Amino acid sequence: MTTTEPSLSRAGTAPGSGRRRAPRTGAWLPTWDMITTKNLEIRKRTGLMITMVVLIVVPTVLFYGLRLLFHMIDPHSYGPAGTPDLFSQVSNLIAEFGFIAAAALGAAAGTTDLSEGVFRHLVITGRSRLALYLARIPAGLAILVPLVALAFGMTCLVTSYEAPPQPTTVSLFGVSVPEHFDQAELQTWLLQHPRQAATGLPVGPATTPAQVRSAIEVNIASFYTEYTASEVSGQSPADNEMAKIGLWLELEVGIGFLVGLGFGSLTGQRTTTVIVMIALEIIVTPLLARTQLPYAIDGQRLVVGIAMDQLRPADLAAAGESGHGGLLLGGRGALGIPPMPTWAMISVIVGWIVGWSGIGAWRMTTRDA
Amino acid sequence: MNINELLAAGPVHHALGIGIGPIILVLLVIGGLAYGVTHRTQRQRPSTRPDPPFPSSAAPGPGADPSPRVGAPSPGRSAPSPWFDRPSPRSATSRKNGGWAVETHGLTKRFGATVAVSDVELLVPRGSAFGYLGPNGAGKTTLIRTLLGLTKADRGTMSLLGTPVPAERSRALARVAAIVDEPRFHPHLTGRDNLRLLAAARGGAAEERIGPSLARVGLAERAGDKVASYSMGMRQRLGVAACLLGDPELLILDEPMNGLDPAGMHEMRAMILSLVAEGRTVVLSSHLLDEVERTCDAVAIVDRGRVIRQGPIDELTRGAGAVVVQVDCAEPARAAQVVDQAGIAAGTTRTEGGLTVTFPAGAPRAVIADLTRRLVRADIDVYGLREIQTSLEDWFLSVTSRLGDPS
Repeated sequence: MTTTEPSLSRAGTAPGSGRRRAPRTGAWLPTWDMITTKNLEIRKRTGLMITMVVLIVVPTVLFYGLRLLFHMIDPHSYGPAGTPDLFSQVSNLIAEFGFIAAAALGAAAGTTDLSEGVFRHLVITGRSRLALYLARIPAGLAILVPLVALAFGMTCLVTSYEAPPQPTTVSLFGVSVPEHFDQAELQTWLLQHPRQAATGLPVGPATTPAQVRSAIEVNIASFYTEYTASEVSGQSPADNEMAKIGLWLELEVGIGFLVGLGFGSLTGQRTTTVIVMIALEIIVTPLLARTQLPYAIDGQRLVVGIAMDQLRPADLAAAGESGHGGLLLGGRGALGIPPMPTWAMISVIVGWIVGWSGIGAWRMTTRDA
Repeated sequence: MNINELLAAGPVHHALGIGIGPIILVLLVIGGLAYGVTHRTQRQRPSTRPDPPFPSSAAPGPGADPSPRVGAPSPGRSAPSPWFDRPSPRSATSRKNGGWAVETHGLTKRFGATVAVSDVELLVPRGSAFGYLGPNGAGKTTLIRTLLGLTKADRGTMSLLGTPVPAERSRALARVAAIVDEPRFHPHLTGRDNLRLLAAARGGAAEERIGPSLARVGLAERAGDKVASYSMGMRQRLGVAACLLGDPELLILDEPMNGLDPAGMHEMRAMILSLVAEGRTVVLSSHLLDEVERTCDAVAIVDRGRVIRQGPIDELTRGAGAVVVQVDCAEPARAAQVVDQAGIAAGTTRTEGGLTVTFPAGAPRAVIADLTRRLVRADIDVYGLREIQTSLEDWFLSVTSRLGDPS
């Protein structure tokens, strides 16, 4: 009977003679097997996986589970669970806790080979150290991305199934205005309803219809800003908004993972990395986001959390502005930092991703194993 | 119904389009990963056939004494290794033929002001069991780490199996395996999963060798257990199994006997000898002189980062220590008097039924013939003479004790 399992060299046969060519291990790209086995190595860390689920999925389940339960028991006191406000709160919760969970996962992926003494065995295989580093990225993201998608998917489901009746008007300073106006249409409608406008809108000392019309024309830009904010906050997010928020959440946790991985690879210290990343997310970034430092605004803009906040989709930012969220729950919509151009936001985000990945890879390729 | 109509159709479709879509995508990704892992795991499942006991048939059984006579070539080696041909250390021929498994010239590694490896010239012949001996802190592990690219050398050149490192490190290490310090693995993974991780890094047919490697070191039955539950001896075995994944031509084992009980040491020794018998080169770094003497053909002695002697063990020990001869004769007292009067010995000691004669270190073997002649001329009945071999330990201690001697 023949066997397909290659046996080890037999006595008298020189190993390595007349056999396969040695595998090319110097390539910088990781193989599929390297990625799947690294993924396996991370997944088998029970404590870490429990932490991931507790931080990313459990809050969503608890939040909506309790709200659905309360609504079922007492629908008069507790409205439907699928309100836009709850959607924003839970999404921000996923973003905030997801970032921390991602950082913990990145720190583990970047340090455990070293701390458990396996790194040297991997290096001795002759495999490119860069490939060893790069294998960790898809291996970790393959755990993180599905968890976030699962939590956000539940959020979308509840928001869709349990949404309250959608309003047909927008409340603008107490004045009911039809939906889906652009600025010109809003101005026209207000000018056609000067009496209603005069009772609700902040038009100053204007009393006559002519004065009201004049005040409307002067302040229409600010009225329209308020109108769009009210419109967004009162309605369930549109499909494309949900998709954008989902992608933004994945980007947020992806950054947390890559920075944690890079920083962990740099220091080789898992605990230190996790502490620094938590401090960055819940102390440094919110403080810098709410405070304008004279002559240092551009420096503040280099913090990835601030760039990500400014990239935050409108529905989440609106929830932050209306007071939901907070330091821990995300929703840092009330930023003290003047908006930055899109190219600057993207540059900061890409800079953090590429920079920390580069630092981690450099340290991995140069460190004593 | 197109996607826009679907999404506009109401909350249920809305949820289907936005909520469930990503989940399905995610499940597909997870499923793909899980399938890949499971599929490979199933391929690696041990057969129902009982695993062979440790060690494999190529090695002597547990009851047999695997220790070869010191200096004897290992079984299975057909041609004398180039080391014993004594080529010049920098011989172009040896390099051209790839005669050295390990070759270093002027290798130096510093840690700040401390010189851990100092100007090391090391030649390890292919197909041999080579001992790298030295007291603790002598720089043994640092040299190995430098050879394997785990740390950078400050100066010097080196090659593994004729391939220069670090210039062609990946190519060289594809045929090399090593245990450095102690074999360490992810404790939360099983032995088999740990090997899968390393096999994936090795590439090629390494993954298909997991089963045979585990069987060979006698770990097939425990391969599904977490490494955290392994004893030190089992981890050492798993380390050897990891080494075998690449079907290496050169194995570098750093203190492989550490933490092993006598039975474990016996098994490890048998394993090393069987590897050498297959034509592999094994470099054994150790401070256990007895183990090296029983396992290796040749040694290098290192101290304070420098290789101070290297060569076949029997040759090194023969010329190094004092020559001691046990003489069985009729009149030990008179025999001692004859030897002392002749002034050919460093000392004599009366023993029960005979005499022990000690000649100065480095004395030629002709002194033994001279001793015999003198005793016969003095009409003393000589029943037998036996040269007492100097052990590697005696020699090691004598060599290292000379380190402080400028001569």
